[in-house]
Amino acid sequence: MLTALKVIPQLLCWAILVPVLSPSLAGTATAVAAAAGFVAGVAGENLLLAYVGGEIPFRPLRGICGVIFLLLWGASVWALYRSGSTRSEAEPPAPGPIAAGAAAVSVGVLAGALTLCRLAPLDGGAVRLIPYLSLAGAGAVVALGAAFLAKYLPERLAPRGIPLLALVVSALMVMACSVQRLDLFSPLSMEVMKFIHDFVHQFFESMLIPDHPFFRSDVWGYIGLLFGDKVGLWGGLALWYLPVLFIALALRLERLPSVAHIRQGAARRKLLAAFIRERRLRLAAPLLALLFLTGAAYQSRFPATEYWDPKPIEVTATPAGQIAIPKKGEVDLEDGMLHKFSYRQGSREARFFVMLTPAGQLVTTLDACAICQPEGYGQAGNAVICYYCRTLIPLETVGKPGGCNPVPVACSVRGDAVVIDAMMLLNTWESTVQVTAHGKGMGK
Amino acid sequence: MAAAIIETSQLTRSYGDICALKPLDLCVPEGEWLTVMGHSGSGKSTLLNLLGGLDRPSGGSITVRGTDLATLSEDGLARFRRDCVGIIFQQHHLIPYLTALENVMMSQYFHSVPDEAEARHALERVGLGHRLKNRPGELSGGEQQRVCIARAIINSPRLLLGDEPTGNLDHKSTTMVMELLRELRDEDRFSIVMVTHNQEVAAWGDRTIHMDDGCLVREERTKGC
Repeated sequence: MLTALKVIPQLLCWAILVPVLSPSLAGTATAVAAAAGFVAGVAGENLLLAYVGGEIPFRPLRGICGVIFLLLWGASVWALYRSGSTRSEAEPPAPGPIAAGAAAVSVGVLAGALTLCRLAPLDGGAVRLIPYLSLAGAGAVVALGAAFLAKYLPERLAPRGIPLLALVVSALMVMACSVQRLDLFSPLSMEVMKFIHDFVHQFFESMLIPDHPFFRSDVWGYIGLLFGDKVGLWGGLALWYLPVLFIALALRLERLPSVAHIRQGAARRKLLAAFIRERRLRLAAPLLALLFLTGAAYQSRFPATEYWDPKPIEVTATPAGQIAIPKKGEVDLEDGMLHKFSYRQGSREARFFVMLTPAGQLVTTLDACAICQPEGYGQAGNAVICYYCRTLIPLETVGKPGGCNPVPVACSVRGDAVVIDAMMLLNTWESTVQVTAHGKGMGK
Repeated sequence: MAAAIIETSQLTRSYGDICALKPLDLCVPEGEWLTVMGHSGSGKSTLLNLLGGLDRPSGGSITVRGTDLATLSEDGLARFRRDCVGIIFQQHHLIPYLTALENVMMSQYFHSVPDEAEARHALERVGLGHRLKNRPGELSGGEQQRVCIARAIINSPRLLLGDEPTGNLDHKSTTMVMELLRELRDEDRFSIVMVTHNQEVAAWGDRTIHMDDGCLVREERTKGC
């Protein structure tokens, strides 16, 4: 039941995509093609998960999402560029049945594969048979049901051309963004933040601007705004929204048709009014796409995905007060994943995790940070996330103190084991939790 | 004979127990100027409201330019009023805080899109080219009525309905308005149905029907001054 709930957003998007595609392309046959594509996408992705495993089944999907988003960018710029030109009197030709079918199958395959990823187990492997078959069946039923309802969708509301592309891409983004390993928005906002940081740094370097006290006191106050924690988010949102806004603007700027040949004023105005009304209706697609992208961005900020969050393994200390965890023991500490442990001494208990950073260093940190309540951390791809404040911490910075980073604990690698001082661990945990727990007690 | 723009068959309208319009068969050919006369309460305005799609009949049928108004939905009736008829009221019903030009453009706005040049031309046509920026309060009764006419014709309806359009006007203004209506009828082939109490005004039309107690009691051809 809970598994079924996880794919509801994806199936809802799918239920919107099919009726949009059907009248816009070639009718009911398109819906059948889309349904077949969805089933094929689910099956193909599950085969990849079963026989290839790891991150590889996610990479092509992520790549395709990136490419279609870039395509949307290109199309939006083109639409904006073309918006000033005189509108051709003839409607653009409807796609042929083969092209429409191919488009529907492609969208169906991608949607099916993205939806299946939502059910993919975090520890790898294929989706179990019953959820897998249920999803394939549900996708096909939703497609055919939605296509039936599409008959009642007014013809003039069916988007065509670039607005249709915007709607399809944005719906696919929503389907992808609730799967951490497919999410495009979070990396995009991180890149924006990094770009701004590097740009300002390089600018100061190349302009040879000295680190004068004047800059520190005043100018840096303003420049510092560029490094705020929200810059990446807003920059990412701008890049996320701009294509759709360009498309909406292009529609708004579209020239009115020539009506000079119509002698009677009322008839002339009526034609213009009809065109303006039609143009207004066509804005519905980019606006819906904007709504989808907002959902995608929100979903990616607060992903509903399950994190890698192993149950803490209880460890004991030697008589000398040392906790030694073998690198290749019950778990492989060097597999790049977060591994949780707990240590108990009488009534005192501490929770911590060990992981290999991308720099190749084994680090040990508390399963808590210095500022939030000790709700603990989970791993999501190349970041760990604080369950309390939902901040994503890149793996590169795990092991470093500050902010919402997990509090580092000194450790040493001796031979094939990581060694931690038990008393120091307990003291660090208690001093951290005393400040942050606010009487809530320890742990999740 | 020209095709009929209005045809009614056994048209009735009752308000509760009161029968305001008794079964009426009427035919108005395209381009005709019909005047309706009668005492107060004789059913003249009821008939006009039915012809203009402002009210719905209790029985019978009413066809304007081939459209049976009884079968139209509320939206359909609104579209009919917007596209097919222009109505001139005795009380003008101009928006007091808009200029003459804006009052005419308001009608364009509800029809399709406003076009200032066209509205200006319509006002010039009714002889108000010099009063475009004046508000209704700054215009005489005759001028206000001419703004109403400009507003009524701006969307090129084929049927003009006038509910005592000269009821508030002096003789000189009445003559101006009537001449204007005749010009519109002659040049643009508007069909006109006009309610009036005034025998002199009725004489401007092609045909006059007399009503009493909701019934058509008499019909006469007029000279059309």
